[in-house]
Amino acid sequence: MLRFDGVSFYRGSEKIINDVSFEIDRGDFAALLGENGAGKSTLCRLCNGLLKPDSGRVTVCGNDTSSAKTSAIARNVGFLFQNPDRQLCQNTVRKEILFGLEHVLSDRAEMESRTEEMLEMFSLDGKRDPFGMSRGERQQVALASILACKPQLLILDEPTTGLDYRECVTIMGIISRLNAEGTTILMVSHDMEVVGDFAERALVLSGGRLVADAPVRRIMKDAQILDSASLLPAQIPALAMSLGDNFSDVFTVDDMAAQVESVCAKKERAPL
Amino acid sequence: MSGFLSYMNGDSILHRLNPLTKLLMSAALCASCFLTHRHSVVIGVIVFNLCMSYSAGGLKRSLAMSVSFIKLALLLFVLQVFFVREGNIILTLPLNIYITDKGALFSSLFSLRLVAATMPLAIMLSVTRMSDISNVLAQKLRIPYKYTFALTTAIRFIPIFSEEMAGIAEAQTARGVEFDTKNFFKKIRLLLPLCVPLLISSVRKIEGSAISAELRGFNLRTRECGYKTYRFGLRDAGALVLTAAIIAAAVLI
Repeated sequence: MLRFDGVSFYRGSEKIINDVSFEIDRGDFAALLGENGAGKSTLCRLCNGLLKPDSGRVTVCGNDTSSAKTSAIARNVGFLFQNPDRQLCQNTVRKEILFGLEHVLSDRAEMESRTEEMLEMFSLDGKRDPFGMSRGERQQVALASILACKPQLLILDEPTTGLDYRECVTIMGIISRLNAEGTTILMVSHDMEVVGDFAERALVLSGGRLVADAPVRRIMKDAQILDSASLLPAQIPALAMSLGDNFSDVFTVDDMAAQVESVCAKKERAPL
Repeated sequence: MSGFLSYMNGDSILHRLNPLTKLLMSAALCASCFLTHRHSVVIGVIVFNLCMSYSAGGLKRSLAMSVSFIKLALLLFVLQVFFVREGNIILTLPLNIYITDKGALFSSLFSLRLVAATMPLAIMLSVTRMSDISNVLAQKLRIPYKYTFALTTAIRFIPIFSEEMAGIAEAQTARGVEFDTKNFFKKIRLLLPLCVPLLISSVRKIEGSAISAELRGFNLRTRECGYKTYRFGLRDAGALVLTAAIIAAAVLI
């Protein structure tokens, strides 16, 4: 689905992405982690051809991004920017969703049907002006307009930044459902709780280099990697690490409850 | 274009000149391009601009800026050269289109003037902090600070809006809008709807800045306020003499 082969990218004389290689398969849910300035957003822009690599090769849905037009890649790759206002340009939510569809479809009935589907999925009022909505609602409109195009790969640049808990749950619920249906997800996030709850795999960038590519559970418990990328683990894995070896497999609240129960039961059974 | 207007750190003579001297110099250099009818003088002004830029450590930036202006100047030259019908014909083309010697001279002078007259202000802005410009206009020229601040803020916002527009275009390309098309007219047609998000984000930014300034006592400021003072020195006198010489040369040569 997405493949980086020894990709480097320079801004001026500064090397922003340094010899990065990885592959994301269809249906994967990968999180891209790293401190500010690590190159996460640049890497995302390399994925859909907004930026072209200076060396190496990026292949997405079978297209080499160096030769394919970004607008053509956009038929298969959806990109949700951190700031939804840059994506919104129409005066109603319905028109906004239709705007993206008009570029990839020609069947009017299909456009109408997908727009209705998105309005229902996000519980949005099609007549509302997107610019009069809250930040979280605008983010949902931007996401709806991307999902209407049914992308095979969805790139999310900090999708939950600036959202309240309810909005965050709504957006991540929809993304998670899409992933279960087969959409590949690459998500940049600083929120380790969200990463821990939804992503299966984590790519960790530091200073433009890929320092780790492993399951999220392993990354969350690797203090060295987390430290190299200035990351803190989610609360439950952090607590589990501090409680020692008995809790090494604990990752979620449910795991923790089960393990605490098990440890308590063992203590009760143990002779005084 | 955004990089051309942003402040360039340095400690050159140009950096140390009084901001008002720099404003006068750039206005005078600009005026001298229109006072002369000789190509050599206008070319001289361009060379002088590049020398100033070199002394301030910004030659690379000025050359890049010149290339952008030259492209625009060439376009204007092509548009102008076919409309002047006076003079001796030096090139005849089909459909009764021809180029005259007067047309070629006028258009080339016009194009050179465009390059020479726009450079001084851009160079001056790149070696002067916006806050210094607004302060000196308020202190020395007694223009109300409210207006000088509005002027400098408008200039300061140009690169911000330019970046914002680039970001919006990028976001729309990622949605499948063909900004990467080579068809110029199609590109213009696609750009029009983007004016909406740009306008909205601009209004939001300006409103945010205005509220922020208000909350920090913007309206309480008087001409006497201001931390820095801007005295004229010997180097300012020298710069003004040089400017006067350039104007005299433009008029007399």
